[in-house]
Amino acid sequence: MNEDPADPRQMPLSAYPYRIEIPTRFGDNDMLGHANNVAYNRYIETVVTHFQMREAGVDWSKDRIAPVAVETLCRFHRSLSFPEMVHAGLRVSRLGNSSVTFLIGLFGESDHQVPAATGHFIHVFSDRDAETSAPMPTAVRAVYERFE
Amino acid sequence: MAEDGTPEIRDAYPHILKIQTRWMDNDIYGHVNNVTYYSYFDTVVNSYLIDQGGLDIHDGSVVGFAVETHCRFFKPVAFPENLSAGLRVGKLGNSSVRYEIAIFKDGEDTAAAAGHFVHVFVDRTADKPTPVPASIRAALEKLIVGGSGK
Repeated sequence: MNEDPADPRQMPLSAYPYRIEIPTRFGDNDMLGHANNVAYNRYIETVVTHFQMREAGVDWSKDRIAPVAVETLCRFHRSLSFPEMVHAGLRVSRLGNSSVTFLIGLFGESDHQVPAATGHFIHVFSDRDAETSAPMPTAVRAVYERFE
Repeated sequence: MAEDGTPEIRDAYPHILKIQTRWMDNDIYGHVNNVTYYSYFDTVVNSYLIDQGGLDIHDGSVVGFAVETHCRFFKPVAFPENLSAGLRVGKLGNSSVRYEIAIFKDGEDTAAAAGHFVHVFVDRTADKPTPVPASIRAALEKLIVGGSGK
């Protein structure tokens, strides 16, 4: 599963070098009154893609070698719900030739010590014309190394 | 291959639900976005629990909480394709169930994506785990495939 041996449930928000705030939306809550599991996966995707575009310089609208999701995991520890603010943390846990694994922690508005959810997201750089995996650009790799 | 070594083929999933993709499912790649697959997972699991297990999502005393979701993406799918979601039970515990789910393109027997979803059944009032209700357990037992489900 490419996860670190350390238990991500023990990692506070401050242990993640990249952090953003994600406002929940009314529609995120399902009929149980909590953010639905799909919404959590959307928060995870949001912090990953935000990082890729703002820090790593990925431009999905024009890059011909760009990251594609190949595996995602989310473990749910406690509920999040609208209207609270989600605090999402990201760090790079594994760097391959063409793949990068991000570890993610999602935290609620009032507790930045104990995650509401933890998971991982694996991107593989893909040559969009050849439809094969491709080595990640050197400049992008250098960014990932700063967030390990 | 599935995590237990079983190939992800259509015949390995005893329950199949047809899923119609929507325009908004596609992202900038022109493919169904990764997060959307989890919506398909939610759909096949909960519709089975409602139709076959008698789950009452409005007034029932027991609700299912997701505790883990996982998916691996093998090949893209895209609107306007029609898909099939295959469902089987990998493990049936006292209060939890691990579903194994695969997404198939129309006319293909090998999965485009596959993963799992773990539900814990919780007493809605007490907010504590509770044994899987008998009607749901009976429905889930039908989805245990050879050797698995212990």
